[in-house]
Amino acid sequence: MSHFNLALRLLLRDRRSGELTLLLLALMIAVTSSTAISLFADRLQRTMGEQAAEFLAADLVIASSEGLPAHWLEKATEWHLDQAQTKEFPSVLIENEEMLLGSIKAVSENYPLRGYLKITDSDYAQEKSVQNGPGPGTAWVEKRVLSALKLKLGDPLMVGDKKLIITRLITYETDKRGDFYSFAPRVMMNDADLQASGVLQPGSHVHYYFQYRGDPKALTEFKRWIKPQLNPSQRIMDIHDDRPELGGALSRAERYLGLSSIVVILIAGVAIAMTTRRYTERHFNATALLRCLGLKRRDILWLYGWQFIILGFLASSFGCLLGWFVQQALFHLLRGLLPQQVASPGWSAVLFGFITGMAVLLAFALPPLLRLKQVSPLKVLRRELEPLDTGTGLVYGMAFSAIAFFIERYTQDFAMTATLLGSGLIALLVLGLMIYGLLRLIAKLVPHVSLSWRFGLQGILRNSKASVGQIMAFSITLVAMVLSFTVRTSLVDDWQKHLPEKAPNHFALNIFPEQQPAFKKEMIQNGIDSSQFYPVVRGRLVKINNIPVQQIVSKDSQGESATHRELSLTWAKDLPEENKITAGKWWQEGQQRGLVSVEQKLAKNLKINLHDQLSFTIGSQQMNVTVASIRSLEWDTMKPNFYMIFSPGTLDGYPSTFLTSFYLPEAQKNVLNDLVKKYPGTTILEVDRILKQVKTVLLQLTKAINYLLYFSLMAGFSVLFAAVYATLDHRIQEGAVLRMLGAKRAFLRKVHLIEFGLLGLMAGLLTIVLSEVMLYSLYTHVMHIDYSPNYGLWLLIPFVGSLSVSVAGYCGTRQVVNKSPLTVLREL
Amino acid sequence: MQSQTDKAVEYLIVAERLSKSVMTSEGILDILSSIDLLIKPGESMAIVGESGSGKSTLISLLAGLDTPSAGTIRLNGNDLTVMDEDGRAAIRNALVGFVFQSFQLLPTLTALENVMLPLELSGDKDAKIAATALLSRVGLSHRLTHTPRQLSGGEQQRVALARAFVTRPVILFADEPTGNLDSKTGAIIIDLLFQLNLENNTTLILVTHDQVLASRCQRTIRLESGKLV
Repeated sequence: MSHFNLALRLLLRDRRSGELTLLLLALMIAVTSSTAISLFADRLQRTMGEQAAEFLAADLVIASSEGLPAHWLEKATEWHLDQAQTKEFPSVLIENEEMLLGSIKAVSENYPLRGYLKITDSDYAQEKSVQNGPGPGTAWVEKRVLSALKLKLGDPLMVGDKKLIITRLITYETDKRGDFYSFAPRVMMNDADLQASGVLQPGSHVHYYFQYRGDPKALTEFKRWIKPQLNPSQRIMDIHDDRPELGGALSRAERYLGLSSIVVILIAGVAIAMTTRRYTERHFNATALLRCLGLKRRDILWLYGWQFIILGFLASSFGCLLGWFVQQALFHLLRGLLPQQVASPGWSAVLFGFITGMAVLLAFALPPLLRLKQVSPLKVLRRELEPLDTGTGLVYGMAFSAIAFFIERYTQDFAMTATLLGSGLIALLVLGLMIYGLLRLIAKLVPHVSLSWRFGLQGILRNSKASVGQIMAFSITLVAMVLSFTVRTSLVDDWQKHLPEKAPNHFALNIFPEQQPAFKKEMIQNGIDSSQFYPVVRGRLVKINNIPVQQIVSKDSQGESATHRELSLTWAKDLPEENKITAGKWWQEGQQRGLVSVEQKLAKNLKINLHDQLSFTIGSQQMNVTVASIRSLEWDTMKPNFYMIFSPGTLDGYPSTFLTSFYLPEAQKNVLNDLVKKYPGTTILEVDRILKQVKTVLLQLTKAINYLLYFSLMAGFSVLFAAVYATLDHRIQEGAVLRMLGAKRAFLRKVHLIEFGLLGLMAGLLTIVLSEVMLYSLYTHVMHIDYSPNYGLWLLIPFVGSLSVSVAGYCGTRQVVNKSPLTVLREL
Repeated sequence: MQSQTDKAVEYLIVAERLSKSVMTSEGILDILSSIDLLIKPGESMAIVGESGSGKSTLISLLAGLDTPSAGTIRLNGNDLTVMDEDGRAAIRNALVGFVFQSFQLLPTLTALENVMLPLELSGDKDAKIAATALLSRVGLSHRLTHTPRQLSGGEQQRVALARAFVTRPVILFADEPTGNLDSKTGAIIIDLLFQLNLENNTTLILVTHDQVLASRCQRTIRLESGKLV
């Protein structure tokens, strides 16, 4: 008979006896969780990505100061990418003897590829979302254009030589950039009218945005193909690098999703290892008999191997189905928060769930299973003969490799993989030593305690190797749960800290120095709480240590764009809030002029070091300064941030304006009109809509990761129960013998509670050490969040560990206490 | 003196200078020393001796369940001592049947499935028919679907007997087959064992404490401290 048929028969016979329940349950948890999370994360990431793409109006954008070569566009067509393009440029508009510097945006047919525009037909009409720009011959404008040029809807507007009819008011533009100094009232027109307008001449200052939408793989390939060909005036943007305020949140959330998947796999892995161990131990005698009946070692391996493959296949298939329903349920719970268009589930995620199930099974079940191969046929005569343990190296090596594979797969982040594995491994080693230490300490206590305590302690000490294994397994499960909980809490706190309830939602730019005190007073009178007023001088970085910057930066580096435009330069006496010095020192009062503090990422990209000489051109003058410090700052705070801060006095004599940000509630919006009237030169940038969008995304992410956390915790507790159950055989047998010898039920209950309570307590204590080490590494090296130990958890974890293991142990051993001991012994 | 080849043809089992030692904390312990044994096909032989005299070790060596420290064993012409474990497994599957004191039935299988198992292992398609017939022969046709837990000790040993004979083994090893049974049930089992042995012309090697049982065998050997006396 083939191995497969025999394996199938034996498996069916085993199923009848209930031997497989625990193992199947553990596998199902693994596959269900990994499929659900994989599907959920995949859909959520794509939904979020699509939403973030709305900020770009596309999945990928090439910004350029000139048109793109024709073969680039052909290549995009080859990759089946949808394309659109916009051209933005300033143009003076004159109507009714009024003049206005307008920001013109000519949009092509497919614009916007992602997101939408909001328009109205009149002041009072309801806003309407549309997914197209104005048609040929028409223009859509911001309301400010009408008031400034004394126009109304339906009036003609001349853009260069082309007469356009104003048909709509634009109230929301999906990809409006917060570019402070090009911020001028928008006039949107159709690309087809551009040539007739004649406004674009050779040498005109135009920003071209070539937008693409399509399959992520094709986009990646396209991006990879195009990147080396970009010239210095061209830049690629996608959702991760264009909007730093969202990019950070998204990538952290993605990492959390990855972390949750790993946590669940780890938890399930522990469950599978524990239940397979129990399964193999229960099959030693059967295996010995099979060997005695003539089965070779290889046959034994095939026999059980097939059984596990069949089990894995069944559990994985069912788990995938269940996982699909779970993620549907998660999306259903989140439906109020998510955009109406949710990305559809990807079959590759389901397939991955299936593969995960099989791989986790292989990695965690094979080592204990291999022990069966070692069973001697002589065991039929000598029951006490136990097969050798599979090599420790193999057991941990396989599990370790599997975890490494999954971490890398989920995060595609070498830093996170190395951090988690490295710190986990070190902590595990320390953990093992600490458990041995604790057990030795307990051994010394045994002679001095009461009978029930002695039995309870001896239960742990009798097979100290098994106890260490159990404590490790409980600890890993608890650590996984703690990681899930703590990282989630920190992420949410971090987002809330960055975007508090009254985060600044407006910027005021171009405030002239002579108007600044009056402007500030006006704001205070209106009860508006503004951030600091920063003086701003526009200047361009031209040389670093006398070498032109273009020679220093690589074409595709982030710093490259900073060298092609004017930067906002400021000076400050004190280090601004949320800025941190990472190298050098902030200047002391009275220190000399001619110093600058540079933002960390820019410094890295431009290879700027402390004490370097930087040369700027401001207007027609050149100025040299020395780098005194490097700063890190939070880009996603919505407060004015600066790449370059100079020491006081350095920028004296250069023309400057002031910049500030403030929070203005919706109800107080009319204050803006007064401000604009009083200070016509000042530009008010309203970012409240963008901010609202960011907040919505963060709220969605928070909810999503909350559900993931509950899911991980649920999986964790189920596994903890399964793991305790998997260790009960010996304890039940001993309990039954003790009862036959006359032990009372209450005594046995107490013994079990002491034993399990202590196991859980030790696991809890070790969890604190292990999780703090891993959290420290994760926060410092991967998530870039400030780490501080959570002392509340230090008290809670041992309690939770002790309680859950005790409850599981108590439930599992209840039958010893309640049934006749003879029945129990017969059933074993 | 007979040559090795002649012996192998005439005898089913040829054991020469068989020894088994194990390492203990107090040094080397000799469990069996220099045992010579010849067993003819169809012969029945009892191995008797005190507890710890090496009976079970001897039977485990003869059946190829364990390897000797020194000496050779030929079973049906095959030198077990030069074979690896997988080679010995193949010999066991083809030639050997076992009955144990502790029955060694698989608790999750029914009586019928337990008896079918060795046939299934060798790929016999008629496993069910043969197993049912043999279970009827041992008087358990009404217990086919019962698991070992639902059977009495005597019934369990009858299932074990059926399982041992279902492959029509050339040689049957029985290790204290009545050790776990009361005398009345034990006697019934032994009757059945000898009947089946006769019907199948099987060579029987029996380990026992029981002199009466030993006397039913054609030959008895006694072990004392690992030596034949």
